[in-house]
Amino acid sequence: MKKLNLFKLAVCNLQRKVIRTILLLLVAALVSGTLLSATVFIFGMQNALKIGTYRLGADVLVVPAKNEEQARTALLAGKPTSFYMERAVLERIRKVEGVRVASPQIFIEPSSFTCCYNVDVFLVAFDPASDFTVMPWLEKSSRVTISGDEVIAGRAMPLMTGATIPFFGTPFKVVGTMEPTGMKFFDQSIFMTTDAAYRMAENSASRSMQPIKLDKDKISAVLVKTDGTISPERVALRIMHDLDDVKAIASDEVVNTVRKQLSGLLTGIVAVSGVLWTMCLFMIGFAFYMIVNERQRELGMLRAMGAKRGQVFSLIILEAVLITLAGGLLGLGLGFGLLFALEDVIRTGLQLPYLLPSPMVVQELVVGSLLFSVLTGLVSALLPALLASRLEPYEAIRTGE
Amino acid sequence: MIEAINLSKTYQAGGQILAAADRVNVNVARGEMVAVVGHSGSGKTTLLSLLGGLTRPDSGQVLIDGVDIWSLADSALSELRNRKLGFIYQFASLIPTLSVLDNVCLPSTFGPGLDNLIGTAKELLAQVGLADKANFYPAQLSGGQQRRVAIARAFISAPAVILADEPTGDLDEETEREIINLFRRVNEEQATTFVIVTHNREIAAQTHRQLVMKDGVLDAAI
Repeated sequence: MKKLNLFKLAVCNLQRKVIRTILLLLVAALVSGTLLSATVFIFGMQNALKIGTYRLGADVLVVPAKNEEQARTALLAGKPTSFYMERAVLERIRKVEGVRVASPQIFIEPSSFTCCYNVDVFLVAFDPASDFTVMPWLEKSSRVTISGDEVIAGRAMPLMTGATIPFFGTPFKVVGTMEPTGMKFFDQSIFMTTDAAYRMAENSASRSMQPIKLDKDKISAVLVKTDGTISPERVALRIMHDLDDVKAIASDEVVNTVRKQLSGLLTGIVAVSGVLWTMCLFMIGFAFYMIVNERQRELGMLRAMGAKRGQVFSLIILEAVLITLAGGLLGLGLGFGLLFALEDVIRTGLQLPYLLPSPMVVQELVVGSLLFSVLTGLVSALLPALLASRLEPYEAIRTGE
Repeated sequence: MIEAINLSKTYQAGGQILAAADRVNVNVARGEMVAVVGHSGSGKTTLLSLLGGLTRPDSGQVLIDGVDIWSLADSALSELRNRKLGFIYQFASLIPTLSVLDNVCLPSTFGPGLDNLIGTAKELLAQVGLADKANFYPAQLSGGQQRRVAIARAFISAPAVILADEPTGDLDEETEREIINLFRRVNEEQATTFVIVTHNREIAAQTHRQLVMKDGVLDAAI
């Protein structure tokens, strides 16, 4: 037989009113799960933003002025789009002061070739000779060169290396996959060389039901890496000064746009979480106030048996912490279940970058969440526990009679 | 063993100050069995609580083995209650989710050096006639049986003093007799001191000394 101790006593006390205990546990689980999923959600967005911005690789993105909004939507929300400007822009950008590398890209909006996949596909053609934004981000196991009718698939594409996929009637072989970023622009894109894209367009007339017209003198965007002597914002301004009809967007500007988009959402999440937590504290606190009240005589008896004030205090705190900790564990399951279930909804519904934090961060969040649950129990039951510990034994016994 | 010196305690009720104990002086020797009798509201229970360190007197002292218990810090006073005093009330106040055996062992949760009391608890349960009920839960016992469990619990730490408040109230005559016999046996065999508050003249008659409490004043020995 196990020796009786405060822990066992606390567990036994919680078993007395099972429904009340379960209700309190569910409240704790709900709050803990909500707080956890909100935290992981915020971390996920910041993570994606950080990786996505870094992943973009370019300091400045140059697009046709009239297509600025489309470009931003494509970049931030991953919405497939097509727009073009003269290729001659590329050489002029390369001559702008502060520009170290300029690499062209062509965005091709998909059409009926997406026959086999239920995801949006964004075709991006790049120039391997000047590229500095695609090839460095191939997964380690992938090849490091791309040629002919070969493509690289974004992480969210349901394609394995070695698979073949047709675009506009031309079959392409997948030779590599990209590291995940949490941004649809990268994760749901198929990358091919500009030469392959032009060839695909030429052939589409005879091979595809929906041929594509792609002029070799046209490109969609120019990605610029600065030489570091001038800030990207200044380089963007210089590009717009020297060239007509283009919009140069510094990557910081992109980040700031997303941050602005996020800040309102984050404030809302933090406010709701704060209100939920406060309500949880009050509910559990009130429940324990009632528990102390209804057990006054018993608490007086425990004191008569020799329970010290600290032991009575610990007993009440232990009961509350057991509830919130069990609720916290249940909340972990609820929170992560909700996040995994809604991962796609977050990406597509909110049109925001989102990438589940690394396992290390998730581990830290789990530990943090459980510690927070313990803290919730402790804080909520603090006053009732103090009240219980300060009861005069005789008064408690008499009042409880 | 246990001594009260000029012990006073007042309460406020309906704007009036009531003296529950008024300059009470009493000395109970080791191994003595004393009954405190008196009408309801005369202050008997308050006196018992003052002697047991459950309520602080307005003035006066309570000495147990020469130590003024109200000069002790809470933890020392709690330890003294745990090791030297056993309380028996009219009600059982058992914890419903603990087994009978665990309920008897409950005081061991709060004091150091009260380990391995399971054997003692079983012996005590046998003495109160509940040997076969050790693994039962309070809800499975009658009111009288629950009270006997509470009595066994009061004896678990082999206290030097038992303070009993109407220990046999509402019990049938046979159980009452068994309990008083148990008290007497423990008193004789272990020299345990008993202070018993009772209305029951038969029980009072079986003690060594009877004290009468009236309006907070401990009048005189009968």
